[in-house]
Amino acid sequence: MSGSNNGNQTEIEVRGLNLWYGDKQALRDISIDIPKNSVTAFIGPSGCGKSTFLRCINRMNDLVKNCRIDGLIKIDNKDIYAKDVDVVELRKRVGMVFQKPNPFPMSIHDNIAYGPKIHGAAKKDIYGIVEEALKSGALWEEVADRLTTSALDLSGGQQQRLCIARTLAVKPEVILFDEPCSALDPISTSKIEELIMELKQKYTIVIVTHNMQQAARISDYTAFFLLGDLIEYGKTDQIFENPRMKQTEDYITGRFG
Amino acid sequence: MTKKAQRDQKIAFTALRISAVLVAIIVVIILLQITINGYSILSIDFLTEMPRNRMTEGGIYPAILGTIYLIIGSMGVALPLGILAAIYLNEYAQPGRTKWIIEMAIINLAGTPSVVFGLFGLAMFVKYLGYGASLIASALTLALMALPIIIRASQEALITVPEEYRYASLALGVTKWQTIRQVVLPPAIPGMITGTILAVGRVAGETAPILLTGAAYFLPRLPDSIYSQFMALPYHLYVIATAGTNIAQTRPIQYGTALVLLTIVLSFNMIAVMIRRHYRRKLRN
Amino acid sequence: MTTGHYREKVIESLLYLSGVTAVIILFLICIFLFKDGLALFQKYPLVEFLTGTKWYPTSEPHQFGLLPLLFGSMIVTFGAIVLSVPLGIVVAIYISELAGAKEAEVLKPLIEILAGIPSVVYGFFGLVVLVPLLQNTFDLPTGQNALAGSIMLGIMALPTIISISEDAISSVPRAIKEGSLALGSTEWQTINKVIIPAALSGISAAVMLGIGRAIGETMTVLMVTGNTAVIPGFPEGLFAPVRTMTATVALEMGEVPQGSEHFYALFAIGSVLFITTFITNIIAEYIKRKYRFNLGSGQ
Repeated sequence: MSGSNNGNQTEIEVRGLNLWYGDKQALRDISIDIPKNSVTAFIGPSGCGKSTFLRCINRMNDLVKNCRIDGLIKIDNKDIYAKDVDVVELRKRVGMVFQKPNPFPMSIHDNIAYGPKIHGAAKKDIYGIVEEALKSGALWEEVADRLTTSALDLSGGQQQRLCIARTLAVKPEVILFDEPCSALDPISTSKIEELIMELKQKYTIVIVTHNMQQAARISDYTAFFLLGDLIEYGKTDQIFENPRMKQTEDYITGRFG
Repeated sequence: MTKKAQRDQKIAFTALRISAVLVAIIVVIILLQITINGYSILSIDFLTEMPRNRMTEGGIYPAILGTIYLIIGSMGVALPLGILAAIYLNEYAQPGRTKWIIEMAIINLAGTPSVVFGLFGLAMFVKYLGYGASLIASALTLALMALPIIIRASQEALITVPEEYRYASLALGVTKWQTIRQVVLPPAIPGMITGTILAVGRVAGETAPILLTGAAYFLPRLPDSIYSQFMALPYHLYVIATAGTNIAQTRPIQYGTALVLLTIVLSFNMIAVMIRRHYRRKLRN
Repeated sequence: MTTGHYREKVIESLLYLSGVTAVIILFLICIFLFKDGLALFQKYPLVEFLTGTKWYPTSEPHQFGLLPLLFGSMIVTFGAIVLSVPLGIVVAIYISELAGAKEAEVLKPLIEILAGIPSVVYGFFGLVVLVPLLQNTFDLPTGQNALAGSIMLGIMALPTIISISEDAISSVPRAIKEGSLALGSTEWQTINKVIIPAALSGISAAVMLGIGRAIGETMTVLMVTGNTAVIPGFPEGLFAPVRTMTATVALEMGEVPQGSEHFYALFAIGSVLFITTFITNIIAEYIKRKYRFNLGSGQ
């Protein structure tokens, strides 16, 4: 089925997307419009294709062998699977935060500076970029006095915020979150959630979560996936309070194992 | 548990323990035999003097120097090649026929007898490329033998680098090669060093390949170019132990040479083992 | 395309070239070895090389019979395997099933030392310690014989056999072992009846590799086997001097004019050696992979 949001300007437009791993079809005919400067949540039971779909948006699936895609994904009205698209450039514009915090084994400063440095930021600007990114990532106050210590010494929640800040330092337009809190405790989780809601002022955010309360708390729009199909997509309030499809209702009310 | 089963177990376990102790004893005997008998002749002069009087007196300086040249020459070739090959296999090659063929080739290179490498070096470097019996022909031959060791160790080191680092970097819009250079290689370097050191130990001790490609029985002068013949410790030991002018009389020199060679080779091995342990412990924390 | 992409492509091709170097080298080894090896058969019949019982390379007419050297290699290898396989497997069992952490920490470095000692040092040790010992013990005319070679090669093959057998034994799933113990078997019955059979294919890979090592070893056998090119009897040939294929190449190459028939005959021996070890390598690898697969699908 196809989903559309009513109103806001569309940032990511997907039409008729199919994806196969070898012979196995993992996504079937997905169409969806994801609006700018909002939080869109993908929910569904595991194996439903929500993470797979997320990874199409920054083409991380290119790294998976035997992965085949057809259909259309446009970001900012530009087909990201077109021949002339530079994948590296695309990933700069579409950042990603992973399930498990994955800081590099470097200092806090170097983790943030890594992207800007490689993308050619001037040496004298680096410190400013690092500070700004850590502030936007709500981590600055906790680490300002120990930027040169190893990022691996931070707590799990701090590491995840560091990874968010690292993504911000590259100045993306879209940020993809792949179950960013599944490895974190409740307090760290709520910090990340606050941060995500703040970030939507400047960025378009897509988040995959298996936690329905989380989707309800932070997202503006919610898409429900089941076994590779997009079942229902709409405003989060509507999806949770008044789902149109039987399967959505069953999932939300907990009738799926 | 029946009495018989209990007794069987006791006998079996005793036999197992005796075997393990036997192996340990063999190692200790070899080490002690060489060390005790070689120790008495060791001196600064022995290490820094030329052999004299048809190698029945004097030192082993040219052989030590030749072995060092061989290590430098062969590693200079095998190290970059081996690391690059490992990067290709681990980071770029897709599972499939090409990768399979390369891996089978590496396995077979690792299992090819050293004397066959010697024959190849003789046919290819000495004869075909016209280097003659020389330092460069031997160093290149040894480089080929060291290659599989370095590739394997480097691959193992690369495998231990978590996939997350690669994903994180790629998701930041960093190219593949830059990701490898900046994020994947740094943590893999200790493992690569270990492999290199193991390969150095192997190179330093090899005899058959250099015997066929350039090692000399005796030279009055030190090698002055890469096209010179040379003396080297393992071949020198072979020569004075089997073909010397007075084998029984020169036993101390033989033991001394064996001890120097063993010390060089085993200290490379020990360093490699220590780095590997240190690194593994660090990884676990 | 941007310049960055161009660079990435260049780097990838460079890496690819380094990757295929191993294949190219193996290919070149085949070409150079076989080219000079086959050159022998322009003048000397292949059948006589393969079935000849006399290796008289310098007499007139030349006789390049492979058999004494082949049998020499075989008897030394046979002895080495008979000595090292049971001992190696037993030590592997001890390390992986019985030894405490402290014992393992002593044994493992010792075995690594065994693997690190150069073959010429083994040869020297054999020459000065083992050869006189054998001569006196068995009251032989010379202690430089097949047995001396077998013992030294057996010691040298131990680390290979121990480490691969150990891998095989420790990859037997814990659950299988616990299952057996829970049925009231003793630990030894479990090792003997359950663990060893389950690890057998991995252990056989170790044996294959051990054979490959032993056939290809040069300096040690050259120094302790006496180097007499006569077809050895069996088993009494163990106490007689023999000459292996590897020793022949190392011993005679120095005195041979390049391009002579004798020169090519040595390359022919090299080719036989290469093919033999190639086959043992492939078999060992096949066993290893098959066995890994079995474990994977069995869980």
